[in-house]
Amino acid sequence: MLKHFTQTILFLFFGFVISSCDPIVNEFNDVEAAIIYRANSITEFAAKDTIKVMTWNIRFGVARLRFFGDGCGDRVIINKSEVYKALEDVANKIKLEDPDIILFQEVDVQSKKTAYIDQAQWLLDNTDFNYGAYASMWESQIILADGLGRVNTGNLILSKWKLENAERHQLPLRGDQDALTQYFYLRRNVLKATVAMPGKPFIAVNTHLTAFATDDTKQKHINGFKTILDAIVAEGQNFVAGGDLNEIPPNASIEDYCLEDQCDGESFHTSDESYHKEASFFGLEITWLEPFYKKYQPAIPLNVYGANESDHYTHSVDKKLTLDRKLDYLWTNTSWLNGVTHQEAVKLSDHIPISAKWVVK
Amino acid sequence: MKKVCQLLLIISCGWINAQWEGETANVMKPGRREVGFFVPFKMGLSNGSEISINKFLIMPSVSYKTEMSQFKKWQRAYRLQIAYPTMAMRWLQSPIGMKLGEPDMFALISPEFTIPQMLSVYGEMIGSTGTPDAGQLTLSAGAGIGINGKKLPERSTIDLPIIYPRFSVYHNKILFKVGGKYLRQFKERLSYKMDYDMYLMPGGDGRYAFEQNGLLVWTKSNRFRILLGYKLIAGEYPFGSQAHLFPFMDFQFGW
Repeated sequence: MLKHFTQTILFLFFGFVISSCDPIVNEFNDVEAAIIYRANSITEFAAKDTIKVMTWNIRFGVARLRFFGDGCGDRVIINKSEVYKALEDVANKIKLEDPDIILFQEVDVQSKKTAYIDQAQWLLDNTDFNYGAYASMWESQIILADGLGRVNTGNLILSKWKLENAERHQLPLRGDQDALTQYFYLRRNVLKATVAMPGKPFIAVNTHLTAFATDDTKQKHINGFKTILDAIVAEGQNFVAGGDLNEIPPNASIEDYCLEDQCDGESFHTSDESYHKEASFFGLEITWLEPFYKKYQPAIPLNVYGANESDHYTHSVDKKLTLDRKLDYLWTNTSWLNGVTHQEAVKLSDHIPISAKWVVK
Repeated sequence: MKKVCQLLLIISCGWINAQWEGETANVMKPGRREVGFFVPFKMGLSNGSEISINKFLIMPSVSYKTEMSQFKKWQRAYRLQIAYPTMAMRWLQSPIGMKLGEPDMFALISPEFTIPQMLSVYGEMIGSTGTPDAGQLTLSAGAGIGINGKKLPERSTIDLPIIYPRFSVYHNKILFKVGGKYLRQFKERLSYKMDYDMYLMPGGDGRYAFEQNGLLVWTKSNRFRILLGYKLIAGEYPFGSQAHLFPFMDFQFGW
């Protein structure tokens, strides 16, 4: 009671202090226009019969630094030079792989924790892409915890061709948080844009689903993502889609990562601690991606994944460089060629990029 | 938009009374004391000067203002202030402690930073002309320096209005400030006051901040008054420029 009273008083005080014409937290509409970016210099690209698509959660350009929020680290504010170094490594990998479309998750555009670098513009200006569409999943003038300060981070699509009709679709908020925490917390979304490749336009869709929800929010996010893809197909269009779904494949052999993910001082599954660590137990949700595998084509088919799981892992937490689960996916309603999980990029983020070639129809 | 501006202008014709002159070049009468929610405790001394102390002890500061000789129609004074922010900045790294709101709920500065011992010294000249009933204009200009035991981490700034410019001297080591105030008593108990302050912060990621108040002042007696109006702030921060408009209310007491 005292805790909630204190929090409410402090919330009202800080809310008054920093109120302005802009809201403290951008709560977003159900559907709204995404923010469009353009590279400083534009290079024209002709239409292709086969394009290369990549998805990559770049962990807001901090590579494997020990950030406090998603691992066991204690870093909150990362130095500008450290962020630029991580971004340069990401850009070099992208230039090496040369995708035509890339779906980024966890891109900071104005966050104190990454020195306020507009990473969307930086990535555009330091790769061969021409256009970008950005949808924030966390935009607040201040986050009242740990000195995080101002935050704007989200999903980004970069394309060699112009992006049109870019839309940000809001996904449900976490249902397992109190109102105060929920107000300042992430607002997951699906970013959808038409890639205006000359003569052969198609849809690109990018998302980053909840990791830490302990209720049915993740199920709602998966359903919301699929509903958008279904609508695209119903309109007779083709899509390339992907992102960090924070979900393992239905045939994954390991469902519980509580011990792998525990930090110093934590303990799980002992006689005293029977509960699971948030985002580390998938036992109850192992089948949630089945509808995707049944209806759409993955870049890494289930049988290929099942034949040698470790070759297709895309994630490990904190500073652990031994990848141990697959959370990142590419989907289409047509077909992929040559899906690749780029595990050589293990030091560039806590997620691994996946790429595949898509035959344009 | 025009109507909004007109409304702000009308509201900005804030109002004040001659009894309360702590922000002008005049000093308080010996023994008089004043305090308000948003202003420090002030007391007039017997040697033509006054002293003020921040009532929030977590950020101790003390200032001393004394009259100077009159120049033509201008009353003049100078003010010196010393502030010690270290305790406040360390408190802002974990305001309610880890236990209540883990992890570090409401922290405005990352706990990963070490806040060194720091001190700032600020001096300003103040000149006032006119009287409250006929209209009184006050101009001020000053400079401050920050003295740090060790370098303050670059990203330990609090990038919020009001706070950012006041802590900037500890990051940039120097601060310049100019300001002006106009107050006029138009009825026995009602006055208006308009003031502005410009902070110049050379060497910082945010280089300037402009603060403007428009206040209506109802003075019950020389013991109590209420100020009501707005505060407009436009400034540059490490992330870029932004403007904020706040409602403003203060209760001030004198004895």
